[in-house]
Amino acid sequence: MNLPDKIQRKEATGETLLQAPGHESYLIYIRAIVADLASKIGFDEHEVAKIEIAVDEACSNVVKHAYAGGQEWRWQHGDPEIRLDVRTEGDCLVIEITDHGQRFDFANYRPAEIDGHLREMVSGGYGIPIMRRFMDEVQYSSNDQTGNTLRLVKYLKKQ
Amino acid sequence: MKDFQIEKESRGPVQIVRLAGSLDMYSFPKLESQLNALFDQGNYCVVLDCHRLDYVGSAGLGSLISLAKRAREHKGDVRLIGVPDRIYKIIELLGFTKVLAVYNAEEQALAGFPGQ
Repeated sequence: MNLPDKIQRKEATGETLLQAPGHESYLIYIRAIVADLASKIGFDEHEVAKIEIAVDEACSNVVKHAYAGGQEWRWQHGDPEIRLDVRTEGDCLVIEITDHGQRFDFANYRPAEIDGHLREMVSGGYGIPIMRRFMDEVQYSSNDQTGNTLRLVKYLKKQ
Repeated sequence: MKDFQIEKESRGPVQIVRLAGSLDMYSFPKLESQLNALFDQGNYCVVLDCHRLDYVGSAGLGSLISLAKRAREHKGDVRLIGVPDRIYKIIELLGFTKVLAVYNAEEQALAGFPGQ
């Protein structure tokens, strides 16, 4: 896969590190790389599709909310960036998505149920419910030194 | 991995809109712009051919919902055909197939629209 120059990909033992600009035009590459990695470690096509959309929702939220226009970021010295650390831990695929934008109050966020949203034909607010529906673990942390990190975990054996 | 593409053709009073590539946060404004332009001309009966679509995220799904809602308010609809199995499974699991009209074939989607 040919990647744009602005996406950096580094491989370590059992681990792939990605750095991409925090812009929606790069999401297509992030999805393709993560889907390829998930497929190679043994997830079937439909589980890969779930992982792909969960990661896309996470990265879309970074672009849309963490790096929202007109807002102050915690690290003003750099361009908005999304970092992904994709690795296996035992029977798990672990994807950590880090940004340096605005902190999100994940613990107190209570997203609407998908079914209720659909009944009312609401057009937004599906991202976090999709992540929670399709991944086995979804955890958010925020640190002044390392930034905001969303950790997504999918168990290989649960398929 | 393809850029998002839209092609339109008229089938009587129904607009067939063929989509290719990824419908995500980056591309959905293009779909909204094209369909809202059709709506503004009074064309509220739309069939989206999704055969060549390779990805739909929640931004795209939310967009489809708001477009279908607007069309239905004017006695039209936005109907989907040819949704690839990989995408269909995802939107079915999430429940989007309960509110979006999804058909197997173009003829089925066209049936029931005024003038068909």
